[in-house]
Amino acid sequence: MVDRREKVWLVSVLIVLVILLGSIAYALRTGYGVASEAIVLPPEKAPGLFQPGVKDLGGGRYQVDIIAYQWGFRPSKVELYNPKEVVIRIYSIDVIHGFQIVGTNVNAMVLPGYITTIVWKPHQSVNGTMLAICNEYCGIAHSAMYMEIVIRR
Amino acid sequence: MISERTFIKISIAFSYILLAIGGLFGLLQLVSRTPGAPKLVDEPQYYAVLTGHGVFIAILWTAFFILGLAVFVISSELGKPFRRSLLALAAVLAIIGSVVAAYPIVGGLLIGQPTMGAVLYTFYPPLLAHPAFYIGLALVIIGSWIFAAAVFDVFIRWRKENKGAAIPLGTFGVLATLIIWLEATPGLAIEVIYDLIPMSLFGKRVDVLLDRTLFWYFGHPLVYFWLVPAITAWYAVLPRILNTELYSPKAAKLAFVIFILASTPVGLHHQFVDPGLSISFKMLHTVLTYAVALGSFLTAFNIVMTLANAGALRGGDGLFGWIAKLPWRDPVFSGMVLAFILLGVGGFGGMVNASLNLNNVVHNTTWVVGHFHTTVGGAVTLTFIALSYLLLPVMFGRSIASMGMARIQPYLWFIGMMIFSIAYHIAGIYGAPRRTYDSSYGGLAPSIWDPLLFIGMIGGIVFWISGVLFISNVTLTPLIGKRVAQLDGASLLRNGNGYEKATIYDRIGIWVLIAIVLIVIAYSLPLFEILSRGLSPVLCITPEGLKPFG
Repeated sequence: MVDRREKVWLVSVLIVLVILLGSIAYALRTGYGVASEAIVLPPEKAPGLFQPGVKDLGGGRYQVDIIAYQWGFRPSKVELYNPKEVVIRIYSIDVIHGFQIVGTNVNAMVLPGYITTIVWKPHQSVNGTMLAICNEYCGIAHSAMYMEIVIRR
Repeated sequence: MISERTFIKISIAFSYILLAIGGLFGLLQLVSRTPGAPKLVDEPQYYAVLTGHGVFIAILWTAFFILGLAVFVISSELGKPFRRSLLALAAVLAIIGSVVAAYPIVGGLLIGQPTMGAVLYTFYPPLLAHPAFYIGLALVIIGSWIFAAAVFDVFIRWRKENKGAAIPLGTFGVLATLIIWLEATPGLAIEVIYDLIPMSLFGKRVDVLLDRTLFWYFGHPLVYFWLVPAITAWYAVLPRILNTELYSPKAAKLAFVIFILASTPVGLHHQFVDPGLSISFKMLHTVLTYAVALGSFLTAFNIVMTLANAGALRGGDGLFGWIAKLPWRDPVFSGMVLAFILLGVGGFGGMVNASLNLNNVVHNTTWVVGHFHTTVGGAVTLTFIALSYLLLPVMFGRSIASMGMARIQPYLWFIGMMIFSIAYHIAGIYGAPRRTYDSSYGGLAPSIWDPLLFIGMIGGIVFWISGVLFISNVTLTPLIGKRVAQLDGASLLRNGNGYEKATIYDRIGIWVLIAIVLIVIAYSLPLFEILSRGLSPVLCITPEGLKPFG
């Protein structure tokens, strides 16, 4: 029933799928930093429990806590010296926002009611001012919502 | 009470109106968001116009055309009358629902309050639209269920009289489409009726993660609800106009079965970067998405082989000789085949979207916009356009008003769509965001975005012009097209007399049961995760940042 051309096609399709699965396996092994865990934080409790700012954990490790709101990020600019591992925690106080550091794999949704955590290991070549934007529509001034992340080496 | 023919005419005419308005909105938002192009609308208007573009085209144009097409296919192939009361009720509910849902968008723009309906076609809470938006959508869903009941009623009567007969291929595609719709819509219905309507009327607090999960439970099978009718047309109509046979009708049914089984339990691939959903469940949905892609790959092979055989019969030889022998001047043919090529582009891009890790690079960028314009804007819409050139003479007894325009129109659509999509795919890899009015970010944006977005706009204008040619042609056809003898639909679709013998593929009930099991497995786990963690409901907020219930 299956002719030769069909076999060639099926095998090519399977090869594509295996390559894609392999790339996922590789990403997971090498520390794929996607937001998956969530911490529940009801908006009423947030003011005391979630403070925006940068904590230097030593050895190139940082924790950056960011508040996303209509329309901006607090803080709107952070500076990191020679970062190796940056734990970014973001919390929205109103609607859904996005957080994407342009030119990197950092790309996550920020849902009100939940803290999003992303672990970012910036490559050595990352240097200077990085642009971080809200990439989910969040209201009439959505396009004004961005922040700067300055990396110094 | 309306006849099948009236129902087809009404739903297809209404779909053209939606395509025309949605297309105009598409042009307005595209030009306005492009760096260096004139701002035709301001930022609040932009989001209302973008909402209209998505709702009128992606949700409503496709749905209404599919309703008309489904009645055409079922009544031609099965030769049984519909229950006219059900058809009438479905049409009334769907049309009233569409008008009610359109009111906050169009009415809001007209009275200078664009934020009444500026929640985009994904309407994620807690962003709030006017209640009419959600109530209208609920009416459309209920209308669609009544429509499905009307189709299954005909099918069950046919089956009683034709025990042991194979389901004709077009009918099989329509049933697959409706089964996918019935699998998917409960998610949307629960979100809209249980959360969004009470949210917009009484300020009910809603959990955003749960509602996103319900939305995408519906949102991805929606894609197959669009695509399966287009594929049905390639399987059932393309061989007829080439005067040949489909390469493998069995593989076609297998593809439909795969779509029935796997188009729903895959929605988490739209939520790969959502917090609160574990990586293992996201991975499960990745693998299931690859499974549903097999259906598309099978289709690709089947269609190419059918075309190659048809070209060879016409005297084309060698590896590529058959291509030149195909009837490229026939817009029904060229439209469907160019649509098929666009699905090829979209299919490979879709594999990237569905891959847990690669998705990180393109999530919420213009890549995604490029992707779904090749699929719903290319594969689906161009197929429906091509079908229109076939159906209108059948339905109205008039030939197409301008065959000259019809001949170039699909090519113009294809070229515009390719320019648009390729530019948007590349801009997306560089991180350019979708759904934003201004992507300059105080001068910090990478300089490569602007030229790419500009090229994309040129492609968009090209296929918009192609759309204008199409809309004028289908508007003029019933008015000034030359009268031709009214064909009967059965002669277009039916191959010979009688039905073939049923095979395992025709036992649709079994496939539906397996599909339900897969859905339960793929969704009980993430839903359990969300609910056991405890919900975190929040107040709704308007696009201006106001809290009407706060």
